[in-house]
Amino acid sequence: MDQTRRDLLEAGWNVGGGMLLAAAGWTSYVALKPLASAGGGGVLPLLPPDAYPEGSATFVRQGRLFVTRAGGELHAVSQKCPHLGCAVPFCESSGQFECPCHGSVFNTAGEHVSGPSPRGMDRYPLQVVDGRVLVNTTVLEEGFPLGSKKFDLPSRGPSCATEKAG
Amino acid sequence: MLQETAVYRSIVRTPSMDSPSGRALHAFGNVFMHIYPVRVPRGLLRFRSTWRLGFISSVLFGILFITGLYLMFFYTPSVSIAYGDMQQLRAQVGFGQLIRNVHRWGAHLMVLAVILHLVRVFVDGGYKAPRQFNWVIGVGLMVITLAYSFTGYLLPWDQLAYWAVTVGSGLVKYAPGIGEAMRDFLLGGETIGQAALLRFYVIHVAVLTLAFAMLMAVHLWRVRKDGLVVGDPPLAHDVTARAADRLVASPDSAATDAVWLADGRRVLGVIDTAEVPAHAREPADEVFSWPALIIRHQVVALAVCALVLALGIAFEAPLREIANPNLTPEPSKAPWYFVGLQELLAHFDPLVAGVLAPGALVAALVALPYVDRNPSRSPRDRKVALLLFWAVFIGLVVLTIIGAFFRGPGWGFVLPWEHLYFEP
Repeated sequence: MDQTRRDLLEAGWNVGGGMLLAAAGWTSYVALKPLASAGGGGVLPLLPPDAYPEGSATFVRQGRLFVTRAGGELHAVSQKCPHLGCAVPFCESSGQFECPCHGSVFNTAGEHVSGPSPRGMDRYPLQVVDGRVLVNTTVLEEGFPLGSKKFDLPSRGPSCATEKAG
Repeated sequence: MLQETAVYRSIVRTPSMDSPSGRALHAFGNVFMHIYPVRVPRGLLRFRSTWRLGFISSVLFGILFITGLYLMFFYTPSVSIAYGDMQQLRAQVGFGQLIRNVHRWGAHLMVLAVILHLVRVFVDGGYKAPRQFNWVIGVGLMVITLAYSFTGYLLPWDQLAYWAVTVGSGLVKYAPGIGEAMRDFLLGGETIGQAALLRFYVIHVAVLTLAFAMLMAVHLWRVRKDGLVVGDPPLAHDVTARAADRLVASPDSAATDAVWLADGRRVLGVIDTAEVPAHAREPADEVFSWPALIIRHQVVALAVCALVLALGIAFEAPLREIANPNLTPEPSKAPWYFVGLQELLAHFDPLVAGVLAPGALVAALVALPYVDRNPSRSPRDRKVALLLFWAVFIGLVVLTIIGAFFRGPGWGFVLPWEHLYFEP
């Protein structure tokens, strides 16, 4: 091997260049990763449980969530569609959540009914303490998996999408 | 005469372009003229030889660059100010709305021109040797063009912008393993807010522009070096490979960069690869780039400018209500070039429709020149390649038409003649 010195220098340049690129990548990643968020609201104290009648869905603007009552239970579901993040409105006529982006439909409990969403609407833990509903918005739980329907909540009327299209 | 003054002669040092030697010297000695070869095949003068689509794309890039610079003077990438800037542009800035319209319609036309350019180059077999890598660079330029559109779409900070980008960036998180990190990197957080607007702005005006300019320089350079498909014989010939046949290794190749011909002559640099000596060759059917081709290019450039200006005068770029994270408009559609993807998303898992399918399409385009080794550019020899290409292309067009014209609220099926929900 009569070119050992040249080979060594060449390898040195390659390793050095590689390290430089890795360092540039790492510093860029550290610099550009999201800043620590200021906190997503914490625990929201809401109305007494009686304010949420069966089949209703009440929008809570501070938490971008709905408090609903379905099957006798209270639920706190995120307004954000688990599919691609669109804001899902509640359709009063059908009693279901209908996503405007790709047509995913969820029942009042936030369970997946139809459409391309990979699961039910994401949920926040909800408690009733001293006669008031408390929703912890710092913990977002994944919605119910597809096909695991606990509540039998059929549509109660025409869907809003059909009404608008018509 | 201005052209005879000492100052002019110090700037433009080559002789007048009235003579063939002057034209040749201009092409060698002037950085701008150097983009063109001295002479081009006569066939290139026909509009239909290339449909001028690559040139039209670069003209549109120029228009977008200039109108974009103008818009930057009146735009602040802040969620509390950006929408107001859009209204101010419309109400107070002289020609502000017109410039914005031209920027918007120019961007749509550029996406269209780049896609059609890709189709034209595919059909002509322009990706075959020795142009394989330039095709890959072209695919890169197309991806950057789409990224330009996507990042620019958010900047007006209206409902259309906010929700189209929400859906688009929602796809990123489905990329296996790195999805969430990529989304965080792009948006600067989990949702679209101030960090996302600023990042999109910087990417749109600086990062992509730098990348596009560099790739375009290489793309044009390679077109110039590899020659034009139009002048080539229908069967591809690999100049480099043929030249290599005539070479033998130098006795001490490590010591010198010179190459050796089979007859023992040592050659530095240019090798004449022709089989017949220059004086015995038939004169090629070529014309000088100036004026024959350049005049044609100037006419096309003017026509493109006139078209975007007419579109800008006739149609106003949309501006909806200010972005509202609590209310998704019905229906919420992506711009036309992504609406086929949105249609696919309504039927398949987001990993498949949003990540794997577009990823596979780009990967297939990049791999194409290396997979398709058939050297012929004649359509008769390329039935399979053409059939596959048109099948995918028509599939995408059909998906786009369904998504753009046949979808309404809740992504339900709507006949366009009953109600048209189309987002330009």
